[in-house]
This record gives sequence, structure tokens and C-alpha cells, in this order.
Amino acid sequence: MNRLRLYRFLMGTLGVAVLVFGIGLVVSFFLYHRPNSVPSIPTGPVGHYFVGFTGCALMGWAGGLIGAARDPLASRSVGTMTAFVLALMAVIRMLAWYVGDYYIWLGDLPRTEASAFLLISLALVWLRPTVAESRGDRTATGSGSAE
Amino acid sequence: MILRGLATLILAALFTLNLILPNSSFSHRGPENKVRADRPSQLAIGRALPPLELIGFDGRTYSREDLRGHRVLLTFERSVDW
Repeated sequence: MNRLRLYRFLMGTLGVAVLVFGIGLVVSFFLYHRPNSVPSIPTGPVGHYFVGFTGCALMGWAGGLIGAARDPLASRSVGTMTAFVLALMAVIRMLAWYVGDYYIWLGDLPRTEASAFLLISLALVWLRPTVAESRGDRTATGSGSAE
Repeated sequence: MILRGLATLILAALFTLNLILPNSSFSHRGPENKVRADRPSQLAIGRALPPLELIGFDGRTYSREDLRGHRVLLTFERSVDW
């Protein structure tokens, strides 16, 4: 039970963080299009096009994470995919650090982020409830739709 | 349980790789002073420009001797197809 609560807390916290970051990206997209604006993210119009797109996608992902925190059984695949995507993001950061194009801008930050993402991914792998655990929790709490 | 163990192994391997990356033989990245030490530059303030040949937009080839006596601004940027 404690493990399940920890999982829910982790998914909820991650969901809120992703939501805030997504909103930030969307806001920076709109701010960039003010006349004579100085971009908060050092990229041009094409880059901001993808920044806005990424912000919207992150907000959608955050909805899934928060939904999984509220009802782990109905959204078990969200935990699996989140663990996979976090590992993928870590690999991308490691490659970015290795290539060196981002080193002047970010220094060793990509490696630090990669470590954090891998640890969160590992936590999700081990905290993610089994079907039996989730069913037990749903029975105990009485939450969720009937199956 | 098998999949969970497999995922743990992969994540642990990635985590280890991330930790040893700066000290690995296949990686030359690291602190900037280490990078500079790995690749000593011929360029320094007060030192002569090393021999070079540059092709201008007019098709002519410019050497270091052609530039001597002129004020020259050299800029470097990554090409699009790099």
C-alpha cells in the first residue's frame, strides 16, 4: 500500500511539474510573437513553432500522469510509457553531452538531468503497481468505475 | 518480474554509462580546461597566425601572406551540412 501511495505521489508530482513546464513553453511561444520581443529560449521562429507544439504535448502528457496518479489501474500503461520515455530522454541528453554542440550552452547539465531521469524511471519501474495491487486498492478505496 | 528485472538492468547500465562518460576513453568531452588540454591550440593572443589558405566568395585563394598588413576579422561557424 505504501508503495502504491508513493507511486501515486511520484506520478502526481511529475504530472504537475510537466504541466508547469508545458505551460511555460506555450507561454514563451506567445511571448516570442510580441513585437520586438527577446526570446526567452535562444531559437528562432521554426524553433518556437516546435516549442509551442512541445508545450501542448507536455500538457497532454501531464493530464495522463495526473490521471494515473488518481487511478493507477485505469492508466497503468502511462507509468510504463513514462518510464520508457524518461529513459529515452536520458539517452538523448547523454548523446547531446557527448556530441558537444550543447556543451557551451549547458555545460554538464544534460548529464545531471540524465541521471535524474534514469532514477525516476527506475523508481517508476519498481513502484508501478501490479494489476492485483491496483485492484486491491480500488476495492479498498471504492474508487474507479465498475469492471 | 522478468521484464522488471530486465528494465532495471538496462536502466542501471545507462546510469553507469552516464557516470563514467566523462572519464571514458571514447569520450573527449569534459571540463573545458580538460578539452583545451586535449587539443592545444596554435592560436593565441600575440602569436602569429598559422599558415592557412581560404577560398573567398570571389573564387580567389587567400593565404596568410595576402592578409599581412591588413586588418582582418576572422569568424568561424558550423556549416549547415556539418
